Order: sequence, then structure tokens, then C-alpha cells
Amino acid sequence: MVFWLFLALLTIAASLAVLLPLARRPQTHVPASAHDLEVYRDQLAEIERDRQRGLIGESEAEEARAEIGRRMIKLEAAGTEGSARASRFLPIVAAGAVLGVPLLSWGVYATIGSPDLPAQPLAQRLEKDPRDNTLDELVARAEGHIRANPEDGRGWNVLAPIYLRLNRPEDAVVAYRNAIRLLGSDAARETGLGEALFAEAGGIVTKESADAFRRALEAGGNDNPKARFYLATAQAQEGRLEEAVAGLTALMGDLPQASPWRGVVGQALARAQAELGAPVAGGPSSDDVAAAAQMNAEDRAAMIETMVASLDERLRDNPADADGWRRLVRSYSVLGRKDDARQALERGLKALGADSEAGQELRDFAGTLGLGAVE
Amino acid sequence: MMIETGHFALVLAFALSLAQVVLPLVGARTGDARLMATGRPVAITCFAMTALAFAALVMAYVLSDFSVVNVFENSHSQKPMLYKVTGTWGNHEGSMLLWVLILTLFGALVAAFGRNLPATLQATVLSVQGMVGAAFFLFILMTSNPFARLNPAPIEGRDLNPILQDIGLAIHPPLLYLGYVGFSVCFSFAVAALIEGRIDAAWARWVRPWTLVAWVFLTGGIAMGSFWAYYELGWGGFWFWDPVENASFMPWLAGTALLHSAIVMEKRGALKIWTLLLSILTFSLSLLGTFLVRSGVLTSVHAFASDPSRGVFILAILVFFIGGALALFAWRSQSLAPGGLFHPISREGALVLNNLFLSTATATVLVGTLYPLAIEAVTGDKISVGEPFFNLTFGPVFAVLLVAVPFGPLLAWKRGDLFAAAQRLTMAFALAALAGILALLFLDRNAALAALGIGLAFWLVFGALTDLALRAGIGKVTPRTALRRLVGLPRSAHGTALAHLGLGLSTLGVVAVVTLQTETILTMKPGETVDVADYTLRFEALSPHRGPNYTEDQGIFPVFNADGDRIATIMSSKRLYTARRMPTTEAGIETLGLSQLYVSLGDETDDGGVVVRIWWKPLVTLIWLGALVMMIGGTLSLADRRLRVGAPARPRKAEPAAAAP
Repeated sequence: MVFWLFLALLTIAASLAVLLPLARRPQTHVPASAHDLEVYRDQLAEIERDRQRGLIGESEAEEARAEIGRRMIKLEAAGTEGSARASRFLPIVAAGAVLGVPLLSWGVYATIGSPDLPAQPLAQRLEKDPRDNTLDELVARAEGHIRANPEDGRGWNVLAPIYLRLNRPEDAVVAYRNAIRLLGSDAARETGLGEALFAEAGGIVTKESADAFRRALEAGGNDNPKARFYLATAQAQEGRLEEAVAGLTALMGDLPQASPWRGVVGQALARAQAELGAPVAGGPSSDDVAAAAQMNAEDRAAMIETMVASLDERLRDNPADADGWRRLVRSYSVLGRKDDARQALERGLKALGADSEAGQELRDFAGTLGLGAVE
Repeated sequence: MMIETGHFALVLAFALSLAQVVLPLVGARTGDARLMATGRPVAITCFAMTALAFAALVMAYVLSDFSVVNVFENSHSQKPMLYKVTGTWGNHEGSMLLWVLILTLFGALVAAFGRNLPATLQATVLSVQGMVGAAFFLFILMTSNPFARLNPAPIEGRDLNPILQDIGLAIHPPLLYLGYVGFSVCFSFAVAALIEGRIDAAWARWVRPWTLVAWVFLTGGIAMGSFWAYYELGWGGFWFWDPVENASFMPWLAGTALLHSAIVMEKRGALKIWTLLLSILTFSLSLLGTFLVRSGVLTSVHAFASDPSRGVFILAILVFFIGGALALFAWRSQSLAPGGLFHPISREGALVLNNLFLSTATATVLVGTLYPLAIEAVTGDKISVGEPFFNLTFGPVFAVLLVAVPFGPLLAWKRGDLFAAAQRLTMAFALAALAGILALLFLDRNAALAALGIGLAFWLVFGALTDLALRAGIGKVTPRTALRRLVGLPRSAHGTALAHLGLGLSTLGVVAVVTLQTETILTMKPGETVDVADYTLRFEALSPHRGPNYTEDQGIFPVFNADGDRIATIMSSKRLYTARRMPTTEAGIETLGLSQLYVSLGDETDDGGVVVRIWWKPLVTLIWLGALVMMIGGTLSLADRRLRVGAPARPRKAEPAAAAP
């Protein structure tokens, strides 16, 4: 409301600028020749000043005066022009302008403006009720908080997994490190750090990353499939395939039947066993380890599988995530696991409500992937 | 609310500029005083609305409102406040808004201070000014709206191009635009004179100060741009003959010519038609510069965004205004009364010579700038016209002009005596020759070109001083009287001398750097030293640092003089701006007297060393100090009280106009 009032005031100001001079009595017309005469008089005075200061000689001054005098005579010979008169166009032009300025400006603004969109200064956005914030805003808020209080371990602890999810592994590593420094080491944080380091290295379980997973197992015991899986992956990546197979087999034995990790672990196990069947002649060398740094297709597939499994697990804990379900369905579909994709779709529909808007969208989305509607 | 208010104010300014085109012009052509009188308040309101729009955009930057596309694309919440503000015009849309802000500002100034102008002239000038404004408002609203919105708004911006995150951005574009756009007033006056079919006596008096204002700002803008490129781009060049630089240099050359021809016109009423043409050409070259930079025809640090529709739009504006003005000129210029006569050897003659040389110089730069574009358009080949071309064409023309400069002010109006002028300059010539010989003997015995250049520079400096000394009568009268007369000289005389002296200083700086600078490239490890000129630099260490939105490696170089005393420490660094992952070099510069040591860091080598480039730039600061002196000269000339023409008294009703005292 205030906004529209303001716009109206501006429009009135603009219209007045056009209207007022038109409404006023016209000033007495001064012919252009009077202005010229004034200039010549100034020039005469200037010559006099220059002469007094000795900047020009008497004869030069005389000549200049004569020339200006000639111009003044010429001016008088030309005579004065007609005086001011009112134009017969005045009413038309005036009416056009007075109406045109508001009409044009409101018309153009109505086409290109966004009057309903409020200004959104960053500071104000970050201060509003957290429930209204988008994820990005929440992160920015938390970042602002952390910048102001860099010793707040809990803040780092909250931010770290979010960074990981937003695919910002560098930031996640820093956040996990700070959380561990301030709150101490525990299984969840060390696992997260290991995962972040793994992502930062582009899908390689580096020594640093493996150390973190080992610390996680020390702190929280063996009931940590993620850490165990990554450690086994590390061994596989280093070419210690027997150890990897042993680790994965043990993990497989410990996993409950419903665990989403079973698929990933099973595949990794199969792959490791296959490689073990045809070991590289001469065993792993430093070159092989270096070559592992250049991720091959299999490694990449393994990484994707891992991520999909994490997502699956997360959706079990937190099913009200329409985006997540969509990603999961697409991931399975891209990996060619149609049955899993269909299962995920069913689970998603159940979680979101098959008739809800989100459910409908998910169903439509699945349709575009070639997954038939599931009732 | 603030943003949309600004958006609306911009639209309103567009509507008002249309009213500013129509009302005063109809009034002036039909002699209706009321319609003519609308020009002034409309022009001032139009400026106020544009200022409001600009303020709204600046606020959006300051508050990091990323719901504005322009802010999202060019700002970052962690950027220092100064760069948030300057970032407003560090991009295409914002810079165009600044352009029209300055344009409407000049319109408002003509409206506010133009009371002593004949009413029809003022009305027509405001109308033409409004036309230029309306065209650019339309351009902004249709192709480059800075108030376009984003919903939902992103939480963080993409940051400003790191090269632009510098104090230079706060100074260079506004100065340059004040210069470019200042010439629009001269253009409007010229077109108004053509529309009216007569040139008032006050015309030249009005055009000269506007030309001076624009010229002073343009000089500052170009010098600042050159200085900025020098310290920011990391290899110490001060002028690159880059098309964008040329685009600003051409209006400067033409504007300098205009400045001089306007003097002739003011003093003697001669060269009227030529001055009109120069006024049109100077602003046309400003428009051409805007087109070249904004259309994406050229790629450079200035080409923020290239979008073909923008290029076509500006080209249309260009064709309309340049073509229209020149057609009007061809049609009406014959009807204008020619001015007074003069002898070829006279002050007027000298100024005509100056104009010829400056126009030729402008033409060579224009050819050098447009030729590659034409070749590319016709054959598709990319060629680059660089320093060699300009050294061969622009160089000699400008050198001859510089030789002639000291003669001009010494010649009398109407009929001059070249021989007498030469006699009076004997002392200046002797001193300049001495400077050249000294340079040859003591600096470099093989550098004949350097000696000639240095001689030429001192010729300009002593020539300018001679002018002042002669006017004050030094040597003819008692020192006391001479001093009193020196102080009492008209400010424009001081202005002329200072501007010419500044030109000499800049020439000296350019010649010294081009001919005498040394460059050393080497790999240094911590602790190693290197001798440059009379100084020794030691490389101490490379240490990492963290800025607000960048990280950098700082290289520390203590400087020792010949006695081994530590006299300065140079810090040169390599930065990485985190948001755009863009590396930049921050050169380390130490000013020693008028000269500078310039250190730039290269890549690190495997064995722990780092590639270091060190330049010794003798007298380099004079290039920009000279420009500053030129600006001071121009400002002094502007302050000359002779320029204030009194308005004729409005006659009382009973009295006829001619009876005014």
C-alpha cells in the first residue's frame, strides 16, 4: 500500500513538472539580440580590463573595440524579432504531455515491473523465521553464525553433513575437522570426515580418509557399515584384494536382511572376488596405486553405488523428502536396476502419500523415466 | 519496495525525457514561452528520477539483495563495502544507468544555470539533450534493465570480476562518463544552433566551458584508466592501443581540437561552422566508443556482456544521432553567417593548424581501431593493429603538433609575427636542446630517439613557462611588478600554460619509460638478491595470506640503495578469488622520486623458486602527474570570470527591450 502511494507521489511530482510552467503566466519575452548585445558589452568591458592591466596595447584595444562595435551595429541593423506568442498547439501538446507521462510510465511499469516482489536484503532474509527459510538460506545463516563464533563446535557439527549433501566436500572437511577439534572425536564425526575426504579426493579413499574411518570404528565399534565398507574399498583400491574380500564378506555377514547396504556391499564383493580371480601379474606396485588415482569406470560405478546406498538409507530415516525420492528413482533407473527403481517409487509414493501433490509429481517423473504407473 | 520504486522512477524518467523532447522544441519553433519554459523543470525532475533509480540500485548492492539479477551476477555478500558500491557500475546494466544519470545531470545543469541563454536556444538544447536521454532510457528498459528480478532469490552472488575489485573502479568509469557525456551538451548546442539556423554570440561562450568540463573529466578518466591498467594488469604497460582505450582517446583528441576552435570562435567569431562540426564529431566519437565497448564487437575487460540485440540497438542510436546531426549540418550549415577573417600566421592560424593535426591524429586512431573490425567483417580474418601502426602514423603527426604547441600562445590574434615568436622562444629552445644533450651524454649515448623525445618534452615545458614569463613581463619590468602581473593574469592564461606544461610532463614520462626502462626476468629463491637500476632487491619469502574474498601468496622484497640501507619493502602477490576461482596478480610498486620499481610474481618453480619480473620505470609517474596538471589547467581556465555572461535584464512591461541600459 505504502509502495503504491509512493509511486503515485512520484507520478504527481513528474506531472507537476510538466504542468506548472504551462499553467503559469508566460514570462516577458527577451529577444535573442538582447542576449547578443549583453555578450558584446561583456567583451568590451574585458578589453578595457586587459588594457588597464597592460596585457594588450592601446592600438590593439582600439582595433578590438572597433570590431565589436561593428558587430553591435550589425545586430541593430538586423532588428529585433517578433515578441512571444501563444502557440496554437499549446492545448494539444500540453494535454498530451500531462496525460502521456503518467499513462506511459504506468503502462510500461505494468509490463516490465515486479511490484509484488518485495526487496530481499540478505541480512533481513537471514533474520526471518527459520521455518520460512530455504535450505540455502539456512546454510547461509549457519555460515554467518559460524563466522561470528568460529569456536562453536555444535554449529560446525550441524553444518558438516549438510555441506556433504550439498556436494561441497572441501567445506565439509573443514567443518568436520572443526567439530572434532571442538567437540572431540566420535564415530559419526569421524565417519563423516572420512566420507568428506573421500569425496574431496574425487572418489579415492586416501590415507587420511582411511585413518578417519579407522578412528570411527575404534570409537563406535563395529556396527558402522559405512566405515567398514570404505575401509574395504580402500584396500581394494590399493590392490589388497584378499583383505578387501575378507572385510566385505565379514560385513555382509553382519548386515541385517533389510539393510540398504547389502546391494552395494554384495556388488563390491563380487567385483573384488572377480579381480582376485585374475590378479595383476607381479601384484600391486606403486604405479597401480597411482593409477587408482585416475578413477576408472568401475571405481566410478562403485562410488555412485555408494552414494545411492547412502541416499536410500537416508530416505528410510527421513522419508518426507520428495526431492530425495526423485533422485533415488532416477539413480536406480540410470544404473539399470529397474526393479529397485520401481520399489523405490512405491516406497516413495507410500511415504509422500500417493494422492498428494508431491506423490503425483513423483509418479509423473517416474513416467518420464519409462517406469509404468504403480497403483 | 526500494528496488521497485527505483524501477518505476527509471520508467518515469523515460516518460519525462520524451516530454523534454517534445514540449520545449514545439515551444521554440512556435515561439510559445510557456512551452519553452517546461524544459527546465522537466529536465531537473528527469535527473531527480534517474538519481532515485540509481540510488535504489546502489542500495540493492549495499544490502546484497540477490533478488535483483544484476546484484546476484556481480556482487557477493563478503565483498568489502567499497566494492559493493562501485560494483553498481562495474557491469553493463549498471554502467548504462550511470551513463544516463550523468546525461540527465548535464541536462539539469543546462536547465539550472542556463538563465542567461536566449530562451529558444535553451529550449532547443534541452530538447536535443532529451532525445539522447530518451534513446538511452529506451535502450536500458528494453535490453539492459538493471532492475530485472529473480524469484526465488539465490543466497549468494557470483562476485564481481576480480580485476574490477579495485579503487580504480570507483574513479575511472565515473570520470570517463562525465567526459563522454559532457560532450553531449556541446552536441546539443551544435544541433540546436543548426535547428535554429543561427549562432548566437553567447553560443561559443557557452560551448567552451562545457567542452572544458568534459575535457577535464575525460583527461582524468583516461589517465586513471591508464594508471589502473598499469598497476593491475601486472606487466606495467600504461597504454596498449587497445580498441577500448582508443575509443576513449578519440573523443579526447577531437575534444581537444574543439576546445581550441571554440577559443577562436569565442574571441573572434571565426571558425563557427568548423566548431559546430567538431562538436557533433566529438560526441559522435563518444557514442562510437560506447557502441564499441557495449556491443560486444570488441572483447576486453570492458565488455561485460555481449549480446547481439544490444549491439544492434546501440548501432541504431548511433546511426540516428550521428547521421541525423550530420544531415542537419549538411542542410543548414550554409545558412549560418561565416565569421571574421584572419591572416594565416596568427593565433587563429595556429589554432587551425592545431585542429588540422588533432583531426588527422583522430583519423589515424579511428582507422587503426576500425580497420581490423572491417577486415574481420569482410574476409573473416582476425588481424590486430597495434603499437607499430600507431608509432608510424599517430607518432609523427603528434610529434609535429607538439613542436608547434609553444608557438601558438605567443602569436597575436588576427596578424601574428612568427619570427618574433621564434625569437622569444630562443631561451626555451636552448634549454630544451641542453636537456636533450645532457640525456644523450649521461643516460645513454646511443639513444638518439630518447634524447630527441626528452628535448621535445622540455621544449613544451619551457615553452609554456616562456608564455607566462612574457605575459608577466619578466626581465622588462621590476621583479615585484612582474610577480604582481603574473598573479594578475587572467586565469585562462594560467590555464593554457599549465595545460601545455602538463602535456610536456606527460610526454617526458612517456618518452622516459618507452626508451629507458629496463626489464629483468629471473627465478629467485628466498634470500637471493638482484640489482635493478641503482637498487638491490632481496627476495625474502613467499607467505600465504587470506583476504575477505580471496587468498593470496605474498612475496616480500626489501629494497636497498647503493649504500646498502634498506629504503623500502615491496609486496607483490598472486591472488585467487574464491567465488570465481579466478587468479590475479597484484604487482608490487615502489615509487622512488618520480620513478618506480615494479615487481610482478610469476609461477613457482619445482625447486622452490619463483619467477619474478622486475621493471625499472624511470619518470613513469610523470605520465599521470602531467595529466593531473592538464586537469588543473583546464579547471583554472573554467574558473575564469570572463566566462560568466550576465543575463540581459528582463524589460519592464512599458519599456521596449532595446532601451535596456
